[in-house]
Amino acid sequence: MTVLKTSLRNFFAHKGRMILSGIAVLLSVAFVCGTLVFTDTMDHTFDKLFNDSAADVTISAKEIDDAQDNGKVATVPVTLLEKAKRIEGVKAAYLDVSSDKITVVDSDNDNIGPTSGAPTVGVNWQESDRNPLELSSGRLAKGPGEAVLDKDTADKKDVEIGDTLKVIAIPGTFEVKVTGIASFTATNPGATLVIFDTPTAQAKLLGSTKETVEVDLDAAAGVSNDELKKNVLAALGSDYDVKTQSETADDAADDLGSFFDFMKYAMLAFALVSVIVGIFLIVNTFSMLVTQRTREIGLLRAVGASRKQVNRSVLVEAVLLGVVGSLLGIASGIGLAVGLMKLMGKAGMHLSTSDLTIKVSTPLIGLVLGVVVTVLAAYLPARRAGKVSPMAALRDAGTPADGKSGKVRAALGLLITGVGGAGLVLATTEDDGGVAGQYLGLGILLTLIGFIVIGPLLASVVVRVLGFLGLRVFGAVGRMAERNALRNPRRTGATAAALMIGLALVSGLAVVSSSMVASATDELDKSVGADFIVGSDMGQPLAPQVTQAVVAAKGKLDHITNFRSVNAKVTTPGGKDEKGTLEATDPTYMQDVRTKAVAGDLATVYNTVNTVSVPEGFAEDNELKVGDKLTVAFVEGKTATLRIAAITADDTMLSHGARFISTATMERNLPEDKRPLAEIMLASAKDGQEDQAYTVLKQNLEEYPQVKVRDQADYKKVLEDQVGQLLNLVYGLLGLAIVVAILGVVNTLALSVVERTREIGLIRAIGMSRLQTRRMIRLESVVISLFGAILGLGLGLAWGIAAQKLMELGGLKVLEIPWATIAYVFVGSAVVGLLAAVIPAYRAGRMNVLNAIATD
Amino acid sequence: MTTVVATAQTEGSGGHTAVAARTRQVTKAYGSGETRVVALDNVDVDIARGRFTAIMGPSGSGKSTLMHCLAGLDSVTEGRIWIGESEITKLNDRKLTRLRRDKIGFIFQAFNLLPTLSAAENITLPMDIAGRKPDREWLDRVVETVGLGGRLKHRPNQLSGGQQQRVAVARALAARPEIIFGDEPTGNLDSRAGAEILGFLRRSVDELGQTIVMVTHDPVAASYADRVLFLADGRIVDEMHNPTAEAVLERMLRFTASETAQPGHPSTSQFGSGRTA
Ligand SMILES: Nc1ncnc2c1ncn2[C@@H]1O[C@H](COP(=O)(O)OP(=O)(O)OP(=O)(O)O)[C@@H](O)[C@H]1O
Ligand SMILES: [Mg+2]
Repeated sequence: MTVLKTSLRNFFAHKGRMILSGIAVLLSVAFVCGTLVFTDTMDHTFDKLFNDSAADVTISAKEIDDAQDNGKVATVPVTLLEKAKRIEGVKAAYLDVSSDKITVVDSDNDNIGPTSGAPTVGVNWQESDRNPLELSSGRLAKGPGEAVLDKDTADKKDVEIGDTLKVIAIPGTFEVKVTGIASFTATNPGATLVIFDTPTAQAKLLGSTKETVEVDLDAAAGVSNDELKKNVLAALGSDYDVKTQSETADDAADDLGSFFDFMKYAMLAFALVSVIVGIFLIVNTFSMLVTQRTREIGLLRAVGASRKQVNRSVLVEAVLLGVVGSLLGIASGIGLAVGLMKLMGKAGMHLSTSDLTIKVSTPLIGLVLGVVVTVLAAYLPARRAGKVSPMAALRDAGTPADGKSGKVRAALGLLITGVGGAGLVLATTEDDGGVAGQYLGLGILLTLIGFIVIGPLLASVVVRVLGFLGLRVFGAVGRMAERNALRNPRRTGATAAALMIGLALVSGLAVVSSSMVASATDELDKSVGADFIVGSDMGQPLAPQVTQAVVAAKGKLDHITNFRSVNAKVTTPGGKDEKGTLEATDPTYMQDVRTKAVAGDLATVYNTVNTVSVPEGFAEDNELKVGDKLTVAFVEGKTATLRIAAITADDTMLSHGARFISTATMERNLPEDKRPLAEIMLASAKDGQEDQAYTVLKQNLEEYPQVKVRDQADYKKVLEDQVGQLLNLVYGLLGLAIVVAILGVVNTLALSVVERTREIGLIRAIGMSRLQTRRMIRLESVVISLFGAILGLGLGLAWGIAAQKLMELGGLKVLEIPWATIAYVFVGSAVVGLLAAVIPAYRAGRMNVLNAIATD
Repeated sequence: MTTVVATAQTEGSGGHTAVAARTRQVTKAYGSGETRVVALDNVDVDIARGRFTAIMGPSGSGKSTLMHCLAGLDSVTEGRIWIGESEITKLNDRKLTRLRRDKIGFIFQAFNLLPTLSAAENITLPMDIAGRKPDREWLDRVVETVGLGGRLKHRPNQLSGGQQQRVAVARALAARPEIIFGDEPTGNLDSRAGAEILGFLRRSVDELGQTIVMVTHDPVAASYADRVLFLADGRIVDEMHNPTAEAVLERMLRFTASETAQPGHPSTSQFGSGRTA
């Protein structure tokens, strides 16, 4: 028990030294708990919303898997309403019309809908008490020229009652005057809602007043939803989808699920990074505490404490740290969740904090995670503490022994790094993409572990080189900084490792993404002949009005090519079948995109009916050659036998892995009303009229802000922007990793300064100024940070290059190393070092010379 | 044994130039109220240039405090201190640090050296910090004097305690400071190693004209000095010129006796005593 008492005393005596490790635990736990609380709250909120707004039973059209995207909403006849009213157990029935295939623009032709991924939905006003909306001002819409807008959108886009909006729907574009503003009684999931009266919704959104999207039923008192569903099925047969309230809510939640899953995983990735980096911090803290306490531990051992007891006393401190850090982390996690909810509010999704859902499991998970991670991280230092001999009590503990990095460790590290390196090399030479990917993953993991293990060894080399290159100019101060960074390579290694991980990830991804941009741009230059590309930024298909607007520019255009994605089930001669898409294009596609064929002729594919091209990999996997036949079942259309007329190369980024058919083939096999809308359109100007054509196209498409026309130069920019957005998430991760890594450097330096109190006192006594003392600490910090940066950037470059070589066959042909980014990161790391040293250096400078000399 | 007669505290004719350091009315108190401890009480001391001065006294009498104040490591509560011609009690930290660097050398009882630097680097450290080129010839002579020739590349933890102290002496001498302060520089050494160090200090005074102030508990160590100042309860109570170990020991023994007899204030009695036993 006395051992426990000493650990308690120690813990509280060294509170300050525990703070930074505690923050690391706190951050990890906060991210995990924040994620859980946030997603649980979202689930709860939407569950409630969907359940509250779903009718007891709804009748809708049978859902077709992978229906062709023809812009139409699946409907049922209105006559069902009367039939439904007569079904036993029905208290009331309503028509429910809605369509999310619309775009709404204001008088300046600006899209008023959300651009974040949430839809713009046109609906009819529901008289039922499940209507999630209530009119907050104005009046309901009446007749074809009127609509009500949701309040959030109205506020955000400055739309007022009396304003005119234009609704671009598939059946046609129409104008409406805003007569009222409606607000959500519960959560607004972020969508823009335009509300019409029922006939207008039917006529303008569906194109017919004889159709409706759903018929909603309220159950009579005493009739359960399941009973009612049974009655409806009995009355109407199985031609329709009949869903109870909970089924509707579940389906809606599933649709939403994928978006939240993305957020959830992104946040958990943050948590993972902070856990990993935090581990290094904790290891370092405990190692230093053990070193500083060597004498005391020796004394404990000398008076009879067993190894196990000493070992345990350190672990008890770790548990304490874990518990305190986790508890604070859980609290911060809840705060983080609330913050995220507020942020979602800014993005248009209003979540009420009264719905904050904290499951019992959340704090439990946080606590277990925090404690387990801390104890695991403290395990090695604790073992080392156990090994301290009683002799240590007698030795002068003034200078901690130089941590020698063992030979075993070096050999092991080199071995792991070597195997990892081999994995990376194999990944670049292996032909089979799947196997190569595994090599790459293994290579990345092993080189990372290897670098962590040989970190101390590398520290002595790299720090010397850095010292030689940069520190000599600082004279004695520089030399002492270098020696200090070198005196405990294990500590330097672990501190730098935290930074290394983040930077390796980022530089690796930076190489891949800039190679992506470079390759795509290169390919665009080499193989794209089309002058203009028309498409929606949110991936929606092009409405017929848009297609017409493009066609209207015909006078200036040489040709226009439609590019459609057709859903179908493809069966090979070998009998393997898979659901997928075929790309249907016009003969002019030949001039627009020069796709490379390794066998056969693509012109045949584009120009004839019932021929198809397959990509090389697909052909190899299924042992297909030109002339073989595929059985293709077009969804909602015919089943046809298509002859393979060409095999396309796989090393392309544009339409990678696409199977082409001609537009004629698509038309032959799909009835007119099931043909998908064009996904993009390509066009080329008549000779010498490029500028005019671009201007006319832009003019014609001005009314459709959801669609953009771009020439090649603009398109390249968009590609870069898209990759750039992807990178933002990565930089977010980096930011976090850096914050934790800075904490690590601060931690190491702060503890080192305490540890070197006497030395600092000595050098101050013999005449080193405060400024010089501070500079010494700063330089040490910068050297450690640069060391981490060099390892991280080196590792990341190796990973990125290996990944690029691996994906070369998949079209990532150009290796582009973003030297500028790498230079920024390198310089940034030096800045990180400077920042991290601010407080430790300040404290070192402030140290009282006499106290320092007197410190035992 | 010969009797040593005290001379006046300020040597008349030599004037200030003969004085390397002096204090006037220096008082140093720690804490306040109930816990107030007066470590130095109105101390007037003159340290003669080119001489070896020892400071002795019972434990807690204020020896270290006096040395720290003289060396500009600690501030005084009242009074003034000069090193050479400059008054250090008026200097700010930056100027004090520079003064220590350029004009003062230190030898502590232990932990004199930076563990990360080699012996040679430790010796030249004050000059390196100042960005001054060490005088090679002088350096060689110093290193030779303290007998470190073969050990210059070693790190402190590869040296014995005596060797470490020799490095410290070499460092103190290397920069040719105006004055060297040592706080029990031989306190951790056996008598032979201690004698060696003291020999070096003595020679540096005799041959190089160095000024040295040394705090010690050891009468034998004190006998190497030209003059011994006795401190008790924060006051200079006695001094002795050209001391012998026996004389110093005898004087010290009287302290213990008088202290037990009269706690509080020691007998400031026989100034210039030092009669032979
Ligand atoms: N930082 C401090 N705070 C409070 N009192 C102090 C402090 N430093 C010294 N003292 C007190 O001042 C007095 C003189 O201390 P000093 O260290 O100068 O004695 P000393 O003569 O060097 O003793 P020793 O021979 O044991 O080293 C002592 O009573 C001591 O307790
Ligand atoms: Mg003392």
